[in-house]
Amino acid sequence: MTLGVAEVASQFLVGISRSMILFVVCAGLSFILGVLRVPNIAHGSLYMIGAFATFSITKFFPGTTGFWVALVVAPLFVALISLIAERVLFCHLYQREHLMLLLFTFAVSLILGDLVKIVWGAEYRSVSAPPLLKGSVSILGASFPRYNLFLILMGPIVGVALWLFTTKTKIGKISRAAAVDREMVGVLGINVSWVFAFAFVIGCFLAGVGGALVAPTVSITLGMDHTLIIEAFLIVTIGGLGNMWGALVGSLIFGVTHSLGVLFWPQFAIVFPYMAVVIVLLVRPKGLLKSVW
Amino acid sequence: MLRVESVFKAFDDFMAVNGASLDVKKGEIVAVIGPNGAGKTTLFNLITGILKPDRGRIVFKDEEITYLPPYEICRKGITRSFQIVNIFPRLTVFGNVQVAVLSHQRKSSTLFRPAESLAVEETKAILEVVGLLDKEKEIAGSLSHGDQKVLEIAIALGNEPELLILDEPTAGMSPEETFGAMELIKKLAKMRGLTILFCEHDMDIVFSIAQRIMVMRHGETIIQGTPEEVRNNKEVQEAYLGEEHA
Amino acid sequence: MFERTIRSRAFWPLCGILILLFFLPLFAPRFYVYIFALIYVTSLAAMSLNMVVGFGGLFQFHHGVFYGVGAYATALLLAKTSAPALVAFVAGPITAALTGLIIGWFCVRLTRLYFAMLQISLGSLIWAIVFRWYSFTGGDDGIHGIRMPSFLSSPQSAYYFILVVLTVSLVLMYTILKSPFGNTLQAIRDNPQRCEAVGINVRRHQLLAIVIATFFAGIAGVLFVVLERSVFADLLFWVLSLEIFIMCLLGGWFTFLGPVLGTAIIVSLRTFVGKFTEYWTLILGILLILVIFFLPEGVMGYLQRLGGPRPKGSAVRKEEIDASGGVGL
Repeated sequence: MTLGVAEVASQFLVGISRSMILFVVCAGLSFILGVLRVPNIAHGSLYMIGAFATFSITKFFPGTTGFWVALVVAPLFVALISLIAERVLFCHLYQREHLMLLLFTFAVSLILGDLVKIVWGAEYRSVSAPPLLKGSVSILGASFPRYNLFLILMGPIVGVALWLFTTKTKIGKISRAAAVDREMVGVLGINVSWVFAFAFVIGCFLAGVGGALVAPTVSITLGMDHTLIIEAFLIVTIGGLGNMWGALVGSLIFGVTHSLGVLFWPQFAIVFPYMAVVIVLLVRPKGLLKSVW
Repeated sequence: MLRVESVFKAFDDFMAVNGASLDVKKGEIVAVIGPNGAGKTTLFNLITGILKPDRGRIVFKDEEITYLPPYEICRKGITRSFQIVNIFPRLTVFGNVQVAVLSHQRKSSTLFRPAESLAVEETKAILEVVGLLDKEKEIAGSLSHGDQKVLEIAIALGNEPELLILDEPTAGMSPEETFGAMELIKKLAKMRGLTILFCEHDMDIVFSIAQRIMVMRHGETIIQGTPEEVRNNKEVQEAYLGEEHA
Repeated sequence: MFERTIRSRAFWPLCGILILLFFLPLFAPRFYVYIFALIYVTSLAAMSLNMVVGFGGLFQFHHGVFYGVGAYATALLLAKTSAPALVAFVAGPITAALTGLIIGWFCVRLTRLYFAMLQISLGSLIWAIVFRWYSFTGGDDGIHGIRMPSFLSSPQSAYYFILVVLTVSLVLMYTILKSPFGNTLQAIRDNPQRCEAVGINVRRHQLLAIVIATFFAGIAGVLFVVLERSVFADLLFWVLSLEIFIMCLLGGWFTFLGPVLGTAIIVSLRTFVGKFTEYWTLILGILLILVIFFLPEGVMGYLQRLGGPRPKGSAVRKEEIDASGGVGL
């Protein structure tokens, strides 16, 4: 099989668009990791709920508006779930060691995973892209789905929004400060517990956004959560813990190596990104960019 | 026996140790004194391999040990006790010292013999010397602070060192405990011909035990000499003793 | 040599339980024999994990990899070659320990969280390769119908084999944990800096602990193949590793037999709950939350606390463990 430059470049772009979804999810995960210092294993489940919720919402609002409504409502729904989990249970554990927090998020992911099975059943679901984004355009002589262009646009938008949020708004700056030195923030009279709640909900909201964005591109299934969370973790680690730009770099590495893997060795496509992660971690165990702590 | 030659150590912009030198002869008791932040603990960390100097050399028995890892430096014959109590809180007093003794006998990795039957006499001997034998079965974490500091020293003895480094051995002790620790240090120096290097804030102890004193300030060595020389040195007086005894 | 153990409160009851278990196939229905055997296999995996996590303090978050590698090594030799069964059985733990040596060598140089992440990434890489290499490993489907030597052909004989191997392995592990090696390992867990200062090469010791633990994990993998006559890629997936971790936690990871108890609870519950509902994962999640909030020391730790007055926290627990012969009951 001869590979023209056009095919490789096109696949490269596909990789970047997939990376954008990963980036949105990982930015949220990284944010939570930075502020709470806990890996949120439930992140994958929330992503999955975002996708399934998008499915339901598009069924409820057929036609052109469905997807756009879902893009807003599904993440809000996910954020609500995370807020409930946090205020009812999670916040009581903040004094405990990190391992307990991690196991709590794992427990939540188990529960949410089965809840999804109860509510939506075990069948594959699918969502179609809104009419505006259907079809493809021709780039470099190869056809490129419009939806992927949309993703390549959304990624930076979310990134910039998050960056503006953490650097320009008061609560964003407090979150960043809490990531570096939570005791100091407490000393300043700020309720650290609320900062944590806030950071957790924002991070989970992003997981929901990721789920909504991915919905038209894959079959929505149970088990999405498990595959995603391990990828998200590895991405966040190679990027640098808590570092949003690191999440971007990591997502790009992961998404592009996967896409190129699909092109060059389809059977083992998934091995490429894992290999890349291993190489990065062997060379720079603490991640490529500086971690927030 | 030990020679520290102009070592430097910086943490980001802060020069913790700024060209300090030290000379310890076999069988001596040498004290390092200086105000808080003078770099004494950093210096000890450099000698025992926990930190590596940016510049300078550390030589022990004519062998350069500057960049060796801590466990190798221990095997060369230098052990230490820590300023902040650093024992094994979950093990018994006996177990604490036994870890060191087994390590010295190179039996730490023995797989198929029960630990409780090994190195018993040597461990008990050490506990007896420091006066903790009657408490050997107690959990180390439940001892009084003073006893824990003595246990620190006992652990350091487990490796039969030639040079024993004590980092503020009487910090936080009551006057009786301090006196006991002092006697212990003197006894140890005599018994095994141990060379002892220690740092302290309590000047009474320093001047009554140490044969030579090295004074540090801002990471530098101001002077190293006999107690008389140090007491009479003007720089030392104004920098340190003056503040302390004003 | 082990007088204290034999004189401890726990020894004779345990022997009694062991004898009972030996007679189990004679009076219990097949299904229960299978469940008990499954508990033995999984608890061996959990015990091997506890060696490095509970006693060594290492963040071994992807231990399942070594369990799975051991299982696959045996399975592949039995299914794809005509190697004698004994060779295949021995190859399991050896392959697992080798994998442990390689992965461990890279990981011990890192601290805690980074240790965990590197291990997870290496483990996931292995999973991905096995998962996709359909022609060799059976990929998603796994390998089924693996041949067994004639002396293991019946479920009863498989049960006895597994029980014997488990018992021998536990005795070995106990000996190792009571030896200077085990003591040093726990000392490293509690205070690695002090250990360095007394001349212990902490990294080498930790690596040795990993190799030993993964060796036993490999044995558990072999037993899995004996029991199920198949292997699945799921053995290498991170979810199983975390489940084994939870079994240790539930049982009590500062005690010797805690993981066995935790495994027994979870496997029994899973089987029992499975009869009524397919939403076992939901129940497990709720159970885990209950453990986190109310039983952070695990069931074993909780029982120990019931058993005696407690002047000081975890420090005294160790004393009780020693007093009871280290078995932790």
